[in-house]
Amino acid sequence: MAPGRKGRIARRTAVLTAVVALSLTMEIAGYHATPAAERPEVSYTTLHALVPLVFAACAGVAWKIGPTRAPARLMVAFVVLWIPQSIYRVIGEWEWVWPVVRGVDLGWAVIAGILVLVYPKGFLSDAFDRWVAGIALVASVVNLLAVLLLASPESAGCTACAPNPYQLVDAPALYGLIDVGYRIVGVGLALAIAGRLLVRWVRASVPARTVAFLMPLALFAWATTLAAQAVTYATATTTDIVLATVSLIAMASIPVSFDAGVSHARNMRARVADLMRITREGADRGLWAESLARTLRDASVRVYWWDEERGRYADAAGVPIDDAEADPRGSHSILPVASPLGAPIALIRHDRVLTDNMRLLDGVSSALRLSVDNGRLRSEIERTLEQVRQSRQRIVEAGVEARRRIERDLHDGAQQHLVSLGMRLRLVANEARDRGVEPLGAEIDGTITMLNQALRELRELAHGIHPSLLSQGGLALAVPELAGRCPVPVEVDVQAEGRLPELIESTAYFVVAEALANIAKHSEATRAWVRAHLEDGWLVLVIRDNGRGGASVDAGTGMLGIADRVEALGGTLELESPPGAGTTLTVRMPLPAPSD
Amino acid sequence: MNEARALRVAIADDALLLREGIAKVLEGGGIDVVASVGTGDELLEVVRGGGIDAAVLDIRMPPSYRDEGIAALEAMRAGGSTIGVLLLSMYATPEYALRVMGAGSGTGYLLKERVSEPQTLVRAVETVASGGSVVDPEVVEQLVKRTRADDPLSRLTERERSVLELMAQGYSNGGIAQTLFLGLKTVETHVRSILQKLDLEESPEHHRRVLAVLTLLGER
Repeated sequence: MAPGRKGRIARRTAVLTAVVALSLTMEIAGYHATPAAERPEVSYTTLHALVPLVFAACAGVAWKIGPTRAPARLMVAFVVLWIPQSIYRVIGEWEWVWPVVRGVDLGWAVIAGILVLVYPKGFLSDAFDRWVAGIALVASVVNLLAVLLLASPESAGCTACAPNPYQLVDAPALYGLIDVGYRIVGVGLALAIAGRLLVRWVRASVPARTVAFLMPLALFAWATTLAAQAVTYATATTTDIVLATVSLIAMASIPVSFDAGVSHARNMRARVADLMRITREGADRGLWAESLARTLRDASVRVYWWDEERGRYADAAGVPIDDAEADPRGSHSILPVASPLGAPIALIRHDRVLTDNMRLLDGVSSALRLSVDNGRLRSEIERTLEQVRQSRQRIVEAGVEARRRIERDLHDGAQQHLVSLGMRLRLVANEARDRGVEPLGAEIDGTITMLNQALRELRELAHGIHPSLLSQGGLALAVPELAGRCPVPVEVDVQAEGRLPELIESTAYFVVAEALANIAKHSEATRAWVRAHLEDGWLVLVIRDNGRGGASVDAGTGMLGIADRVEALGGTLELESPPGAGTTLTVRMPLPAPSD
Repeated sequence: MNEARALRVAIADDALLLREGIAKVLEGGGIDVVASVGTGDELLEVVRGGGIDAAVLDIRMPPSYRDEGIAALEAMRAGGSTIGVLLLSMYATPEYALRVMGAGSGTGYLLKERVSEPQTLVRAVETVASGGSVVDPEVVEQLVKRTRADDPLSRLTERERSVLELMAQGYSNGGIAQTLFLGLKTVETHVRSILQKLDLEESPEHHRRVLAVLTLLGER
């Protein structure tokens, strides 16, 4: 890549240097070859020599920033074709050369016209442009043939020249007609181009004017002076020096306008990069359209978003696009943006002039596509995550509720019935003893003992399902009770005064229960510590032991289920268990806002 | 009990079956059941009416099925009532026992399944009616079973531990002597030794001793 680029730069520099040197040499030679009496003023000649220099300099810039290579090449061609004007007097003695040079001495004007036509895209983009260019070329060829076949040194205004060897007939009237006609066609075309640019500029909105105002102005000034010159040429032979000076300045301003316009468009592309940044930050639709307008420097930009439900495009406020705005012949163009799969996303109604800058619009539509895709994905993910989060919480809630209900059913049902049954059996046993059936009494006593054992087991079971102490006294009561059941001595510090939401309490309780069960089973610890406290709207549980460590959440210790429950409530679980250095489990759960 | 007339007792439990059963057991023990209601509020109403020596009530009752029984006990004590109150619970929860004892003298906390031991139930009602304290043995067992580092209980002898457990259950020195087949003097010696080892003050009031022992067991 680098050597190619270097080579290109070197080649271009060489070309520019060569044409500039040639142009200056010829200009100076032409000046000296002109008889002193006919010489124009030095200042005019200097200005005349400066025009190709401006073109050469602009060619260098255009090569660097231009949309295609055509504008720079046209500018170089201009420099070369500018030469014949000044030198055909120098080469007037070379009869084989001067008629050819005389025939192309207005080629620079054709090149200048085409340069204006390829602005700003770098190629002839529509039929009008191609027609104009075509007519200009045909006219130039006709003119060249006319000069070659009809011109004599006298009719060509070069009295010092050798006779024209190509001349077929001596028809000064016909030659003069073609010569003047050629100039009139040229002026007509130049005026047409200038007029067209002017109309486009007048109808365009702000950005179009900032981009294009220099070019038609330059062309218009030049065409006007050219027209005046043509008239002067046709009627007399003296040239108005003021008119000629204005014409030169106008001509020199064409490549400058070209480069300025292209560079302006490039700045716009840089602003598309800013738009991309805004897009990445996920701005909303209204803001995005505003940023777009700012980026394009076109306050008339409207973005109409595809409304899937209604099957139409509407702006961020919901106002649908009207047909007049969608009319492609208006001052605005419509840029449809669709997702990679072809689903419509939006229409961007923008100033027509921006159509000439496809790379800018490509950037804009890519940004929009990204923005919409990002937005869609983001909201989809957020929605899905929220659903998952809610359903996880509902599952945990349902689990807690189910446990609470089972415990209560056991308490009010089976346990109650078994207690009553024991009581009745006792009454029956007493009755049996009263009736003197002692063995039966003893038998029933045994049954009661078994029943009480069953009750005891049932009580433990119910307690494990959902500790009644938790719903009655909260963590402050339930955690010490839990710690008391642990075979490893546990130091408890619960600083959660008052009651927390049931779901949080119950989850915290089972976290502690599971952690203490693991400590009892696996840790070989001799001490454990349980701390629960509130911190900035979070319940923080720290369960620590001095055991052998090496515990992990996924080692099938039941900790995974606990982690799931904690995370379902938006909490976090952190297990720190280096081998040989005890285990610390830290669980944080967000408490609902106080207003809830 | 050396009172001539039968004790008058009110029962509160939301389970009709149990209420009737408890009444039957108490009546079998020579106690008059004068009221039987389903909520703590109704019981408070009955107690305010006067003429009640003791109340037997469930901890978990409507409306919230949490600790209405204890709340009723606390409301009675706050209202100046000193009748005996025996709370029944499906679970042996030391934290509740402590709260019940903390309400003052003449209170008791028993597992519901003790209703199948008529003597235990009747004796508990008589104890609380006379201002004594009753704590379910299972509660004490749970407390004693609790494992703590630097356990002060490790300083006690086997015999002292048995005495301590009975102290926690609300037994008087006489009761302990009877239960363990020891002389009263021996029991008193054990009690003094225990209180000294556990850094507890000898309290003139019986229920304070129970509360102190339970608290020690719970906080140890």
